[in-house]
Amino acid sequence: MKKNAFILVSLLILNTGFKIGVDTNSKMKAIFIMNFTKLSDWPQPYREGDFIVGVIGESPLYSELTKMAKTKKVANQSLQVKKFNTISDIDKCHILYVSQNKSREISAVVDMVRPYSTLIITEKEGLVEKGAGINFIIKNNRQKFELNKKNVEKYKLKVSSNLEALAFTVK
Amino acid sequence: MIKKISILFVVSILTVSVFGQFVGKDDLSVALFYLQKNELDSAKKYIDLSSTDVVLKGVAKTWYYRGYIYKELYKKNDKENKTSAFRVISIESFKKMLKINDRSDFAQSAAKILRYEASTLYNDAVRMLDPENYKTAESNYALFRATMLLVDVEVNMKAKDIQFKLALATMLNRPLDGMSEVDSVHTYHVKRICGEVLFIDPNNPSANYNLGILYYNEAAEIINNMDYDMDIMTLGAVEDHCIEIFLNSLPFMKKSYELGYKRRETLIGLSNIYYGLNELEKFEAYKKELQDLEKEE
Repeated sequence: MKKNAFILVSLLILNTGFKIGVDTNSKMKAIFIMNFTKLSDWPQPYREGDFIVGVIGESPLYSELTKMAKTKKVANQSLQVKKFNTISDIDKCHILYVSQNKSREISAVVDMVRPYSTLIITEKEGLVEKGAGINFIIKNNRQKFELNKKNVEKYKLKVSSNLEALAFTVK
Repeated sequence: MIKKISILFVVSILTVSVFGQFVGKDDLSVALFYLQKNELDSAKKYIDLSSTDVVLKGVAKTWYYRGYIYKELYKKNDKENKTSAFRVISIESFKKMLKINDRSDFAQSAAKILRYEASTLYNDAVRMLDPENYKTAESNYALFRATMLLVDVEVNMKAKDIQFKLALATMLNRPLDGMSEVDSVHTYHVKRICGEVLFIDPNNPSANYNLGILYYNEAAEIINNMDYDMDIMTLGAVEDHCIEIFLNSLPFMKKSYELGYKRRETLIGLSNIYYGLNELEKFEAYKKELQDLEKEE
């Protein structure tokens, strides 16, 4: 009987652990970004060499994109993820992700990428009006995106009609 | 030749002396005769015949002795067998006895034996709480429970039920030898068991907390396993499904919070769930509460 009591007591510490290392939000965004690479066209010179995704500012998305870059390619191009700490660090890239803490500096970001064919992606409401091509938004707990076609095309990029159809709003 | 005739004569005398005394007696009496002699196999044979006899099967005494004989068989031959049929038949027989007449002279004795058999079932259930035998443990516990209620319909089994269920869930919630993660079938059972505990006691802190995490983990696992090449349409459908699971998780983790259970872990849980739900203000609020708590500690 004592043995049974011991068995029971030792089995009464029901303690489930969290799945660690899962950033649910960043994983979703990374998949979206992968889709953007497939549903957008960059000018010819950008179809050679590495496909560069830059991240400006602090965002957990950076490590998720780095993880993605280890296994995925964009067409024949290897995926490379670069982190820019300051606006002046921004260099030529195919996609530039502007994290929350750099959202206020969107105008400076736009100025920096002006010479390049860069798709600017943001995550703050209203930024598609201020130069972003794509902006992540949350609607009914779901991750969605807004598209500003003009802001995309002025960098000589083309978006497919499919991407337009999938966007929450198109401006 | 004379020797052979002598042997035949002795055998005939013995046969008459043994079976002669049963002439005119019913099978129940014969069963009791053998029971007194501790010849349990013969007692079993005749008590089984009694239990199918048109008249004897309606008599409480028949079922009492059937229960008694089978209990003795269990004790003598089958005590190490955790799924002993003797024990089951004994309990069923007492049950029939009580159905025929629960105020008979045998009721008190039957209750005592049933309590003994219930305790053996409980002990066997606890001893079988391992990944290979937990289903038998569950059925033994179910029979223990039914037997206890047979003895006293008003007995309160809630505490015992919760204790056993949580012990079972704890055992199932551990990775199997050589594995790094909990088996998915076991996780399914842990969820089911936590749900059963909450049905008994909706305020059970452990079941609320663990169910909250189990739902969260289910959604997190789906997201973690998503391929980066998944198209946006499919992504939307998977996201809908995950949101539903995160929403399932939320009330349990909130209850854990209200109950003040595992403060730190519950705050991690709530912030994770709200993050999964993309409710970033609430995520930040619980994250801050967690940071404040950690500062205090």
